[in-house]
Amino acid sequence: MLLKRQIPLMIVIGVGLLTLFGNFINNEAVRGFVDNDATQWFDIIASFAIFLGALNMLKLQLIKIIKKQKNWQYSILAVAGFAFAIFAGFFYRGANFITIADIQDGQLAIVSGIIAEELNETNPYDIKTKIMGSQDEYEIDKLFMTEGNAKLFMEKLTPFVGVINLKSKPWGAHVQTKGSLFYWMFINMITPLGATMFALLAFFVASASYRAFRIRNFEATLLLVAGIILMLGRVPIGNLIPWWVVSIMLMFGIGAIAAPFIKERKILLGIVSGGIIIFIIFGTLMGWNQTPPALLSIPIIQDWIFAFPAMAGSRALMIGIALGIVATSFRIIIGLDKSVLGG
Amino acid sequence: MNNKVIIWSVLFLILLGLYVLGEGLIFVEGSRVKFAAILLVSITIYYYIDRARSGEEIYLRTIPGLKALEEAVGRATEMGKSVLFVPGISDLDQVETITGLNILGHVAEHTAKYEASLNVPVSKSIVMEAGRDICKESYLRAGRPDLYSDNMVHYISDEQFAYAAGVNGIMQREKPAACFYLGKFYAESLILAETGNSIGAIQIAGTGSMAQIPFFVTACDYTLIGEEFFTASAYLSKKPELLGSIKGQDIVKLLVMAMMVLTVVLNGLFQTGWINFDILSYL
Repeated sequence: MLLKRQIPLMIVIGVGLLTLFGNFINNEAVRGFVDNDATQWFDIIASFAIFLGALNMLKLQLIKIIKKQKNWQYSILAVAGFAFAIFAGFFYRGANFITIADIQDGQLAIVSGIIAEELNETNPYDIKTKIMGSQDEYEIDKLFMTEGNAKLFMEKLTPFVGVINLKSKPWGAHVQTKGSLFYWMFINMITPLGATMFALLAFFVASASYRAFRIRNFEATLLLVAGIILMLGRVPIGNLIPWWVVSIMLMFGIGAIAAPFIKERKILLGIVSGGIIIFIIFGTLMGWNQTPPALLSIPIIQDWIFAFPAMAGSRALMIGIALGIVATSFRIIIGLDKSVLGG
Repeated sequence: MNNKVIIWSVLFLILLGLYVLGEGLIFVEGSRVKFAAILLVSITIYYYIDRARSGEEIYLRTIPGLKALEEAVGRATEMGKSVLFVPGISDLDQVETITGLNILGHVAEHTAKYEASLNVPVSKSIVMEAGRDICKESYLRAGRPDLYSDNMVHYISDEQFAYAAGVNGIMQREKPAACFYLGKFYAESLILAETGNSIGAIQIAGTGSMAQIPFFVTACDYTLIGEEFFTASAYLSKKPELLGSIKGQDIVKLLVMAMMVLTVVLNGLFQTGWINFDILSYL
């Protein structure tokens, strides 16, 4: 109990208070701990913990294959993907490159031509300038995934250069180096798969919007109207909608709000159509065709919705969330909420 | 005014006074208001925790999303299907993840009680370890440690969309009857919630990520909005000291509202030239 509960709790309280009040203490060491060390400690622990997760994933997938549980075939793919990533990350670098030096007299133009051809460059003179400008040895600007491919290219250059070396990018850096197997896997497999999942979002947004915008009650109608105005106001066509169309929309909106209170439909129709006619006559007389009022401009209404009602709502939420985070953090720091240590 | 209020007020003033005296030497310059705010919030919350501990009854309004937690687990049990709990894609350094895990403890207690199967896919190893500890404790508390298995909390991937794809796969294959999304979410929120919706699961969500709340409101049956999510662990545990902190939090909100009104009024008076005191320069 002491090791599992009391000591972790003391660490939580100690580090929590230090991190909170460390922001106010004028001391370099404390500031350094709060700004850098504490977060780095967390990163280090999290990095070690990744092995736990990876092993757990592997264990579950292997059990599924061995016991031939339902849909075990998918697990083969998961294990194969895992093995490939480990192989690309720890055992096979790729990212081979060639350096040349001591080019024989008069052969510079030939060497530049061969390199330019390999790099698909039209002007060998640029390569020649770069070779001449290099101090000791010139690194050819191409990474080879396999040593075999690199050696094939080296064979072409060997008769013309004195020194030619095959090298690889250092371990660790290779994962972010173009031309390594890991990088290839990331760009050609992980990125497109991630993008595919992200692209699904567009369809999900459409289906969710359809449900949200279905007119069921006053709130849903309000959401629909606000949504339409925002959509129209953010596209160029919104600017082209004349004031009288907005007036008609406004009168329909007023009619929709008034409808539940007016039982006689003919009176409602009279109010709405009368309102539209009055609006249009009044607007024409006031010269709104030349200078329409801001209130009847879709982009301006859209700006107003965005800047005031929407902003007020989101700020209210933000304050609530911030206070919630403060109160939860406070409960944890003073050791009142111990649930994160296991109940 | 009772004695405790006076004691806490005096303590607040002493600490603030010490800060002002030591500003530039021991304490950082220019953070006076921030320090006072943190002190005020902490003291207010602690004061109400103390009051709750001494037996004062705390009223809490009903939060439908939290009330529905047990119903959702019960429904899954009746249908003979599993319960899926997604604690978000962030690590334990996020308060939302901690809150999500706190609620996981209560959900796990219900699944243990009803003998429903629980599935908790996670995207961070530390969350996996914490989640296992919490579930184990809950199953023990419910008197069913035999039903607990480490495999119910399992790791999928650190990668955002790989994790989303993994969870979606679980949903499509296992068709859980209840899905909980409680933690910190980003763009994957709607992908998960819409998939849950398509399989007909009862869905309860809660997050502190502002941008994701509308998506959850649209796709889920219940959503814990804003501070509702953070009060969940206190609400469900019914422990007086935790309930006291919620009241303290509400009082702080009241103070914030009063401060906002005061700031608007004072700034208005300053702008019109009625007073020379510029409140904005202090904040």
